[in-house]
Amino acid sequence: MKINHAALGGLLALVFAVPSAYAAGPTDPQIASIVVTANQVDIDAGKLALTKAASADVKKFAQLMITDHTGVNKAAVELVTKLQVTPESNPTSQSLQKGGDDNLAALKKQSGKAFDKAYVDHEVAYHQAVIDAVDTTLIPSAQNAELKALLVKVRPAFIAHLDHAKKLQGELGK
Amino acid sequence: MCTWVQVSAAAVVSLTLAGTAASTDQAKTAPKTYVISMQIVGFDPPELNVKPGDRVTWVNKDLFPHTATADDKAFDSQSVAPAGNWTFVAGKTGAHSYICTFHPTMKGTIKVQ
Repeated sequence: MKINHAALGGLLALVFAVPSAYAAGPTDPQIASIVVTANQVDIDAGKLALTKAASADVKKFAQLMITDHTGVNKAAVELVTKLQVTPESNPTSQSLQKGGDDNLAALKKQSGKAFDKAYVDHEVAYHQAVIDAVDTTLIPSAQNAELKALLVKVRPAFIAHLDHAKKLQGELGK
Repeated sequence: MCTWVQVSAAAVVSLTLAGTAASTDQAKTAPKTYVISMQIVGFDPPELNVKPGDRVTWVNKDLFPHTATADDKAFDSQSVAPAGNWTFVAGKTGAHSYICTFHPTMKGTIKVQ
């Protein structure tokens, strides 16, 4: 299956777009759900890549995604537990989960170098979409100072992951 | 001709001066401890000048592991967990460039001089 990068990026942007149901922006419980789901989706893709990737560098990147996003989710869960906020499923987190499931289904059909390319291409688009959502929706909407601070703290990790994925993308394209 | 008293007085002055110099040198050379924070935006401070015997402690302030790994293999923290730390005691003089092997955009230099 050939993946159109522009279409993929557009699709992910739509997933993170603020639905009219909460035009004022997601609430803190909804943000908590979006954060946990966004991290878990990338952890799941990383776990699949660890078993299927052909390139050692792609496997190393996949392990990094699992480790880093697990660390972010651990901190997010600890914070919402402390704040007594119950993550609330919402259209964005549901779309993220569906997008993650669809991505896994598509990746499972790939193998070898085609898998590596499909996985890394998706990682580039996914991290860009997450960063855009963090900047335009999640940080501006977060009401609790500690939740907002957590989002600000993890943003550089997403930037580093995006840069790393782009570098891999360039190497795989050679 | 120099008398015993004169020699003795000179020796006392000399010893006193030597003692003062020794304690000053000791203060100058007493090992120091430096702290570098590990964050994905980079090591802070990214460059550090130390003397042999000084201690450099890296503290992980991120939510995921990092390493401080010298290119010349002078030191390697291995994985430092979130909120964890690792200490290196500076040895021979030289400049050591290092990175986080998990996040290679994190770079730093320790100069032992």
